[in-house]
Amino acid sequence: MATATHELPAPESSSTTPSRNAFLLRRLHSLSGIIPLGAFLIEHFASNAAVLSRHPAHAYGAQVKFLNSLPFVLALEIAFIYIPLLFHGLYGLWIASESTPNARRMPLLGNWAYLWQRISGVIVLAFILWHTWTARFSGISVPDHPELAFAKMQAQMAHGWILAWFLIGITFVCYHFAYGLFLFAAKWGITVTARARRRWGWACLIFGVFLAYAGIASALAFRGILIYPVR
Amino acid sequence: MNPKIIIVGGGLAGLAAALKAAEQGAQVELFSLVPVKRSHSVCAQGGINAAKNLKGEGDSAWKHFDDTIYGGDFLANQGLVKRMCEAAPAIIDLLDRMGVQFNRTPEGLLDFRRFGGTLYHRTAFAGATTGQQLLYALDEQVRRLEAEGKIRKFEHWEFLSAVLDEQGRCHGICAQDLHGMQVRTFPADAVIIATGGVGAIFGKSTNSIVCTGSAQSALYQQGAWYANGEFIQVHPTAIPGEDKLRLMSESARGEGGRVWVYKDGKPWYFLEEWYPKYGNLVPRDVATRAIHKVVFELGLGIDGQPAVFLDVTHLDPHVLDAKLGGILEIYEKFVGDDPHKVPMKVFPGMHYTMGGLWVDNERQMTNLPGLFAAGECEYQYHGANRLGANSLVSCIFGGFLAGPAALEYARNNRTDAGSHIFDQELRRQQAINDRLYAAAGEENPFTIWRELGRLMTEHCTVVRHNDKLRLADRQIEDLLGRYQRIRLSDTTRWTNQTFFFTRQLYNMLQLARVMVQGALARDESRGAHYKPEFPERNDERWLKTTLAQWDEAAAAPRLSYQDVDTSQIPLRARKY
Amino acid sequence: MAEGKIVRLRIKRQSGPQAAPQWEDFNVAYRPGMNVIVALMDIAAQPRNAEGQPTTSVSYEANCLEEVCGACAMVINGRPRQACSALIDRLEQPITIEPLSRFPVVRDLVVNRQRLFNDLKRVKAWIPIDGSYDLGPGPRESAADQETAYPLSRCISCGNCLEVCPQYNDKTGFVGAAVLSQVRLFNLHPTGKLHAGERLDALSGPGGHQECGFAQNCVNICPKDIPLTDSISAVGRQLIVHAVRQALGS
Repeated sequence: MATATHELPAPESSSTTPSRNAFLLRRLHSLSGIIPLGAFLIEHFASNAAVLSRHPAHAYGAQVKFLNSLPFVLALEIAFIYIPLLFHGLYGLWIASESTPNARRMPLLGNWAYLWQRISGVIVLAFILWHTWTARFSGISVPDHPELAFAKMQAQMAHGWILAWFLIGITFVCYHFAYGLFLFAAKWGITVTARARRRWGWACLIFGVFLAYAGIASALAFRGILIYPVR
Repeated sequence: MNPKIIIVGGGLAGLAAALKAAEQGAQVELFSLVPVKRSHSVCAQGGINAAKNLKGEGDSAWKHFDDTIYGGDFLANQGLVKRMCEAAPAIIDLLDRMGVQFNRTPEGLLDFRRFGGTLYHRTAFAGATTGQQLLYALDEQVRRLEAEGKIRKFEHWEFLSAVLDEQGRCHGICAQDLHGMQVRTFPADAVIIATGGVGAIFGKSTNSIVCTGSAQSALYQQGAWYANGEFIQVHPTAIPGEDKLRLMSESARGEGGRVWVYKDGKPWYFLEEWYPKYGNLVPRDVATRAIHKVVFELGLGIDGQPAVFLDVTHLDPHVLDAKLGGILEIYEKFVGDDPHKVPMKVFPGMHYTMGGLWVDNERQMTNLPGLFAAGECEYQYHGANRLGANSLVSCIFGGFLAGPAALEYARNNRTDAGSHIFDQELRRQQAINDRLYAAAGEENPFTIWRELGRLMTEHCTVVRHNDKLRLADRQIEDLLGRYQRIRLSDTTRWTNQTFFFTRQLYNMLQLARVMVQGALARDESRGAHYKPEFPERNDERWLKTTLAQWDEAAAAPRLSYQDVDTSQIPLRARKY
Repeated sequence: MAEGKIVRLRIKRQSGPQAAPQWEDFNVAYRPGMNVIVALMDIAAQPRNAEGQPTTSVSYEANCLEEVCGACAMVINGRPRQACSALIDRLEQPITIEPLSRFPVVRDLVVNRQRLFNDLKRVKAWIPIDGSYDLGPGPRESAADQETAYPLSRCISCGNCLEVCPQYNDKTGFVGAAVLSQVRLFNLHPTGKLHAGERLDALSGPGGHQECGFAQNCVNICPKDIPLTDSISAVGRQLIVHAVRQALGS
């Protein structure tokens, strides 16, 4: 019988000071989803809700004009939207790629939510890139012609498949944000007990549903479908 | 070079020894069948005794000492027991410092509860998983020393034998990797054996699977003396199961649980009636015999079955969860009833061996120089019956004694034994393995094991009769004969569990004879050893330690006797 | 009970670390109250598969059989759990049994969980005492703190929480819920607290706390009902505070 020396698995080295970058990057990822991206999302939905008025073209145009009148608007956009968006989106893709989902084997609420957070993240990233390109950087320049903003969107929404794409994008972005709020509180240690998480979970759910309703109502309004009583 | 100490066994005693030895400068190699965190010490539930006297009862180390000696029916050597009881409070303090989550009083001090065989609140506890908590605390400290490079673990290794020179001095061990299955010798300046209990010899017991006594038996067959083998503790309250008997801790009674059966349609609290002073907290041997009598002599077992009620339903559910949660959860998970609401059904089950490898009265060394032993595998501390919650303290105390003692021995006896004794031992063990692989008989090792367990449980536990013990010994001899015609169902050379089990079985059979013959010879009743033919303790003839020595020619134990140290507490009748 | 009733098992077997896994069916005699371990013991005693062919016994890890040692974790009917507390009466048949999938298989149901113990070393999961000599009693602790810490100290290192964790894999190197919870335990202790920074530093590096995706499977599968998600949150808070303090240079 062989009597070769038997080597035990070498314990992992614990002498070197571990890099804190992994932790800081992930916290930044988590934070960027809320500030500025989440905050912008709320602002964006609020602005879009201008279409829910008796004179949507005018109100919407005025809102676009106001936003574009802000000083340093492009710098603000780059600093507070595009860079955080690209960071959050690309880092998120990398996070999703490291996952080994098992929701079918462990069909639990939290596990499904985990999986959909990753699926929705991918879809939302695609949607936002497309939406930003089409609405901001191609076709009629909205900053230069705010009065045409409504018409531009209306024309886009006239296509059934584009409207459907919007509804999907809005739903997923609301899910991703609302569940992201839940995760933020859990991972940052704001909700340390099961009871706190349950309560905060309900708050996030209600908020997410409201946000989705607001977004969908605005989108449908471009087609003259009103699910919200216009004043 | 620092002296090298090999410790075999990673339970409380082994870890305690490893901690002390490594701290004092030894290079420690720690061998264990399982990752040490999974050792059988995790199963200890109720607590650990120390006379801290935090309840204003006037408890003292001397009273702890007296209870232990009296509970053990005066068979324990008094010197080490006294030292243990004196050391116990500091051991609790140390465990507390290591972060053991002991239950607390409102003032933030350690809480203590009552246990069997004492009238004092002397048992510190961490819920009802005290053994687990203590083992983890030591496991963590050992992991710290492992990270510092002072301890090296060999987990999933089976101890096969000691490497002895011509004078019987120990220079290392021979062990086999449970996965790769290679056999190797490991030199050491001293060896500490801390391999625990022997439950598997009784088939089903409260012990874990690894508690086979194989290591102790192998050493006994190499010339180590085995002492008081006949003293086997049968715990009064266990849940019978198909695979094992699950312990229901004495702490259930310590917290107010009551034992009863129906008599004339009404609950009968027979322990409280028979033993008004100690009630449900009489020592285990007494409670076990009482239950035995109620069930088999009076025929009052629940529904005619061998079972009695252990009832905690009258206790405050919050207190139950805080102090007994762990064991109530076990009952609920394995039986299905909620013990908060329904009285538990329990029956005595083999639990502990008071006997074990003989060690000296000073430093835990066996008769083989350089070979030490600590914990359940040795015989000191408990005499003829162990008190509840004394095992954890004896394991840690024994380990704390053995570690530094082994180191001191190693520093004073650094001799080069020469490689030939290692080669010889390796060849001897490999020859045993080769015979086992090649065995082409018809006997199934598991069948032999089940028969051994049945014989031992029937004839060598609660009640012992000479004719039946004689019969049992002959039948074990038959089993040894059948062992020679064994066949392995699996002869592969990788993680072959059948192989290891069969190897251990031989050692179990040999050690069983030590127990049976020790019991047969001892014509008296003392502690856990009860013979209806000789119902009284006989100090004149039997206040003696049984020593079993392997007789190579006869391939059988040879018994001799040694006086017991009773220098401090004079003998008195044991009446609870 | 019905005479001759049988229990049917399907076991995923693997003769060695490099061997291909394959399924083998077994029948064992039913007895009331039996668990999966009893069935495996029966197979070991008489290793014959369901076709009546002699085979090798199934290797498995088990020790205490009271769900307190953590050894016998395996995947039973798709769910990782301790085989000792898996009662046959409560399982649908045939009962499928597989080794834990997140650890290297040694043989059959035996896996190598060394990584878990290495990770405990990595995060310094111990109280650094000055020495084992007598230094008097430990720090006082309130009964309430004991009731918070005690459940955490009951972790049996079975690995079930890691088996179900979608983030526990070679890519993330995540230490997993069990280890995070141990960090919380030691950071709660009055002495352990003095070294909380070292543990938090270890958890800020690769495979640390940040890899948790909060799928919450761990807390649902834990056989000891340890509040693992609470621990993850609590450690998350400590990490933030620790990072801010370090950034501010305090």
